[in-house]
Amino acid sequence: MMGRTIFIDPGRCIGCQACVSACRECDSHRGKSLIHLDYTDEGHSVASLPTVCMHCEDPVAPCAEVCPADAILVTADGVVQEADTTRCIGCANCVNACPFGVPKIDLQAKLQLKCNLCYDRTAYGLAPMCATVCPTGALFYGTVDELRAERPGVEVADTFVFGESEVRTGVAMVVPAERVQWPVPGGLPVVEVNGKDVRR
Amino acid sequence: MTEPPEAPAATEQPDPGARTELPEGKGPERPSRVSSLVARTVEALPRSVNGRAVLAGVVVSALLVLAIVFGSRLLRDYDSALIPYAVASVFLAFGVAYRYTVWVSAPGARRLFTNGWRSFFSADNFRRAPTALPKMAATYLGFQKFLGARSHARWAAHQLIFWGCVLAALITFPLTWGWFTFTSGTGSGPGYEMRLWGVKILGFDSLSFVGWVMFHGLDLAAVLVIPGAAYFLWRRMKDRGAMTGQRFAYDMVPLLALIIISVTGLLLTFSSIFLHGGGYEFLAILHMVSVVFTLIYIPFGKFFHIVQRPAAVGMQLFKYTSRQGDEVFTCRRCEEPIDTGAYVENLRGTMRDLELGFDRWAEYCPRCKRVLRGNAYLSQVKKGFQ
Amino acid sequence: MTADPHAADRRTVIPLDPSLAPPGTRGFRDAGGIPADRWHADQHGETLVPTHCCFCGVQCGMYLRVDRGGKVFGVEPRDHDINRMRLCPKGINAYQQVNHPDRLTAPLMRRSRDEDLREVSWDEALDFTVSEIRRIQRNHGNDAFGVLGGASLFSEKTYLVGKFARVALKTRHVDYNGRLCMVSAAGANKLAFNIDRAGNPFSDILLTDCLLLAGANVGECFPVLTQYVWGARDRGATLIVIDPRETAVARTADIHVALRSGTDAAFFTAVLHVVIEEGLTDESYLAAHTTGWEEVKANAAHYPPSRAAEICGIPAEQVVQVARAFARAPKAMAFHARGIEHHTQGVENCLTVINLCAATGHIGKPGAGYGTLTGQGNGQGGREHGQKADLLPGGRSILNEEHRRQICEIWGIKESELPLAGTSMMEMVWQMQRGEIRGLIGICNNPFVSLPNYSVVKDGYDTTEFHAQFDFFLSETAANAHVVFPVTVWAEDEGVMANAEARVVKHNKAQEPPPGVRTDTWVMCELARRLGAGDKFAFGGSRDVFDELRRASAGTIIDYSGITYERLEETGGIAWPCPSTDHPGTPRLFEDGTTYHADGKIHLQVVEWHPPADPYDDEHPMTLTTGRTVAHFLSGNQTRRLGALVEQTPRPWAEVHPSHGFRNGEPVRVVTRRGSEVFPALVTEAIRPDTVFIPYHWPAPAAANALTIDALDPRSKIPEYKVCACRVEHAERIDEVPAPPVAPGHVAYPETQVSRTDPLPPTAPQGRGTSERS
Repeated sequence: MMGRTIFIDPGRCIGCQACVSACRECDSHRGKSLIHLDYTDEGHSVASLPTVCMHCEDPVAPCAEVCPADAILVTADGVVQEADTTRCIGCANCVNACPFGVPKIDLQAKLQLKCNLCYDRTAYGLAPMCATVCPTGALFYGTVDELRAERPGVEVADTFVFGESEVRTGVAMVVPAERVQWPVPGGLPVVEVNGKDVRR
Repeated sequence: MTEPPEAPAATEQPDPGARTELPEGKGPERPSRVSSLVARTVEALPRSVNGRAVLAGVVVSALLVLAIVFGSRLLRDYDSALIPYAVASVFLAFGVAYRYTVWVSAPGARRLFTNGWRSFFSADNFRRAPTALPKMAATYLGFQKFLGARSHARWAAHQLIFWGCVLAALITFPLTWGWFTFTSGTGSGPGYEMRLWGVKILGFDSLSFVGWVMFHGLDLAAVLVIPGAAYFLWRRMKDRGAMTGQRFAYDMVPLLALIIISVTGLLLTFSSIFLHGGGYEFLAILHMVSVVFTLIYIPFGKFFHIVQRPAAVGMQLFKYTSRQGDEVFTCRRCEEPIDTGAYVENLRGTMRDLELGFDRWAEYCPRCKRVLRGNAYLSQVKKGFQ
Repeated sequence: MTADPHAADRRTVIPLDPSLAPPGTRGFRDAGGIPADRWHADQHGETLVPTHCCFCGVQCGMYLRVDRGGKVFGVEPRDHDINRMRLCPKGINAYQQVNHPDRLTAPLMRRSRDEDLREVSWDEALDFTVSEIRRIQRNHGNDAFGVLGGASLFSEKTYLVGKFARVALKTRHVDYNGRLCMVSAAGANKLAFNIDRAGNPFSDILLTDCLLLAGANVGECFPVLTQYVWGARDRGATLIVIDPRETAVARTADIHVALRSGTDAAFFTAVLHVVIEEGLTDESYLAAHTTGWEEVKANAAHYPPSRAAEICGIPAEQVVQVARAFARAPKAMAFHARGIEHHTQGVENCLTVINLCAATGHIGKPGAGYGTLTGQGNGQGGREHGQKADLLPGGRSILNEEHRRQICEIWGIKESELPLAGTSMMEMVWQMQRGEIRGLIGICNNPFVSLPNYSVVKDGYDTTEFHAQFDFFLSETAANAHVVFPVTVWAEDEGVMANAEARVVKHNKAQEPPPGVRTDTWVMCELARRLGAGDKFAFGGSRDVFDELRRASAGTIIDYSGITYERLEETGGIAWPCPSTDHPGTPRLFEDGTTYHADGKIHLQVVEWHPPADPYDDEHPMTLTTGRTVAHFLSGNQTRRLGALVEQTPRPWAEVHPSHGFRNGEPVRVVTRRGSEVFPALVTEAIRPDTVFIPYHWPAPAAANALTIDALDPRSKIPEYKVCACRVEHAERIDEVPAPPVAPGHVAYPETQVSRTDPLPPTAPQGRGTSERS
């Protein structure tokens, strides 16, 4: 299923934001950092979550689907590119439709910007900047086998659940072995629909 | 892709030929859900998108043919040497109308199209902010201020190309359609009259400055376009940001086409002035071929953004007018503003059209989406290291 | 996150542009101080210069990207075996210092502190400095002039600082800012092993079964080392973290002991108590390789877990848990950092860890050992070659007749000319206050931020008659000086540093210094020449100094004689001792159980815990502890000018437990006996309720070190940064962070300073999330 992609493990993230600075050094969008780093457990612990584009595969790229200008291209290898500069009209549909909260928008330039998996690097077999520098392996770039060579027996999941919908992504997350059959909760705070508990 | 190649569906892959240039070693293209969705729609309503698009294309190109015929006073003013250009422009009209129809049939564009025009035609809006639309059109379409925010150099180069092309289009389209004629009462000048649809617009002396400009308008356009296009070409060979994901057919061909058209056009003038017409025939054919190719390419390549860009004004007008009346929609969790209520409703509608089952998620800001997902991971997947 | 999110939308005139977007999706201000559209990357004409990071003691390898014009413009990860392409945010942004607009490019001077600094020629600044040195030394003796060095200098330059002070200035008063850093570990190492360095390389962490981190916030201060910690855990190692705060590494640790600051010696002795009680000691190792075990054992008997629980404020079971996990592990390692070293019993704290390692036999084996994590880039190398008050090159003692004779021979001076031992950095400040030291040259340090009890420090420096400072940015200390010499950044000169493993690595020159800027080496040699010692300072550059350093260290424990620039470039780093050019270096010490004492034994030391220097009372019931945050480095003179790092962490905060009733971002006044300051509260359950934490990278009036106590460890003279008594109060207004000082006529590069004063609350110790920026 998965080829070379990013594997995210928030459990090892130390929130240092090396990825945030490194993203800015990527030549395809130099000067603009597109990765997100959130401290998700504010007030309780220093836990953190890095968010790169998940490169949704099914449905393929909701951001591209909602784009009124056909500006977002999905390459044959499944990488959802940032908006085409000639087409993007800066409407922010992708920003607000993305279930993972990934795209950013430059309002003055009328241009969406998002993680493109460092296409200038990955297209030539190099790892993206964020995963190259990540001091902890919270962001890992490679195949599942390469990941397992570093971390024997590790399991990953590439399906997320938002309410009743599932999204399968190109980027995967590390999960404990006993959770590998379940989709990862996407965070949509849904409790019940028509009196039926829809949480998994 | 189930559509015939000459009728691509409005997917995120509008020009399949241009978009298959990928680095080696990448896998085959996966079926896109959008295209399958559209394909299903096409199957269910065989006359729907494709049919309407063909119809639109036929109607628009027929109208253009009629305009040519009547505009040239039943071909009396028509210069038969320009026939290939005129034919190409008819194809262009068909292609643009077809592509445009397909494009605005996709859910995202259709809703924005409707809302944009609704705002445009709203008398209420007009009364409240009569200057909004012209201002937006001037900043987005004319002076393209947003490009300056991307890079000043790119803005300057694009302005050169833009005004050059506008000038060239204003001159050449009416000429090739036989709408403009230049006649001289004295046979060979220097006094000329410019006529539109046979009606005299102005008279001028071909030896005066105005006359010089009238006859060298296209040369001026070429002088504007060449440096602009050359800058972009140079940038595409040097800047790593621009080179990422760059495709020859999509990114390079338009620039090369502009440069070839402009250079051959200038050489035509050069030939007639300095070479006494030497090489004129060959240059004329080369020029014509490049122009015809470019015109037919417009609907399917990068140049389609010329047709699409007015949507930016529609989008902005829609947001602007809905913001005047509506409350700003705030995130359900952090209460930070997301966008106008009408915009969020429009987006949710689009997502429902596309059968994206998480449209309620649009009521949360991106940060809260991530934080909630992070929290869910901590509490339901794993809290710590293993 | 403005106070009222709707405020902007109630305006009657709605702007045509820009439209709305949710927070965190539209900000690109973090461009690091260069307008985003000027960040280009050209395909052609780029060279990659291999070098290392200028910041912490991990010394990650990196490439600097140099454009065709010879200017450094970016960074590229380098697959060096220390860091395997990993970098932290400081390292990634380090290159932006090189061509930073705040750089000093001309000497600054004033004849009295009533005047403003003005730009002068090199000759004028050097002449004035020399005349002041002569005047002060003529009137008050040679020892009335002092030198303070730094541990971010290349080893060549640290060698030169010591030689300059003793040969050119002939003063005993030379010390360096490593005195504020890891001298406690150095003292303990010398006492126990008679060699001052970590025992094991980082790669041994991957082999261990139990890793104990004491007072080391690895995730923030040595982020790149985290990969080794996680690597060990992936192979099943147990992680024990001793820290009053639940740091990023502590969050997921197997055992996190959140003890009260200043009680480490009691804790580790109690752990040793349990180890002895449960028969987990390695008696054969103790018998063969240690001295003093019986005394240590007898002393440990006084520290049952119940007593440690009371002193440290932790459950007694944790002591037992740690003892079992550490002692039962086939291979265990202990690393510590400033958390246990910054105490009035810093040396003793380290000794208790050594005692524990020795008692369990976890010394000198692959995956078993002990070490300190040095904080400064050259924290290890900086203390080796004679810029410490009592040491000469090669770790020789200035009090040892034989050592003195050797060095005088190398330096070509008479033994009578070589001064005796001086005093430590903080003591020198006190001497400045008393008028015993009347002139000072500071090189590569910023005591106005980094020394404790700021009012004393300021007073000491203000009392001096003459003060010169070397720096490439105008530090808070330099802004108070009479003369400031603009010197090179690390990428504009070559030289070596020794990282926390005592691995010597080579930094390469990536670009020419800007016009008007000289190397520290040149300035010291030029001053020496003008002082009449030019023949002893005929160095063309780092290479010449390194050759002399190698000779000066030959035959000592800290033997560099087998290390050459060429070998360093070939190997990627060599750990000393390296006595000959065919010697592979010594990554791991004590492999055969022998130490560098004459008897080859580990000299175990008895440690009796005592409370910290600053007593608690009803007015000051809580503990103030200080430390670093990941985006900033030491006194912040470098990192507070780099836009991305300022964006990440624009200002200090006071970290308090929710039980004190503060809301996040509220002003909280922290009061100690030295003063009080108001910080925004970072309210988190990840800190002990009796503890307040403030990061120290900022100057007064937002300086943690305006509150800390200038009490010193009697042996290492390290200040007790990590614990003093305090209380917290509600307050009205948060104290603003001042802009970093710049040369006259300039302003601190505004692009980098935008968020310094913004009112947003802190979100986490590691900085603000990418969406929590204005």
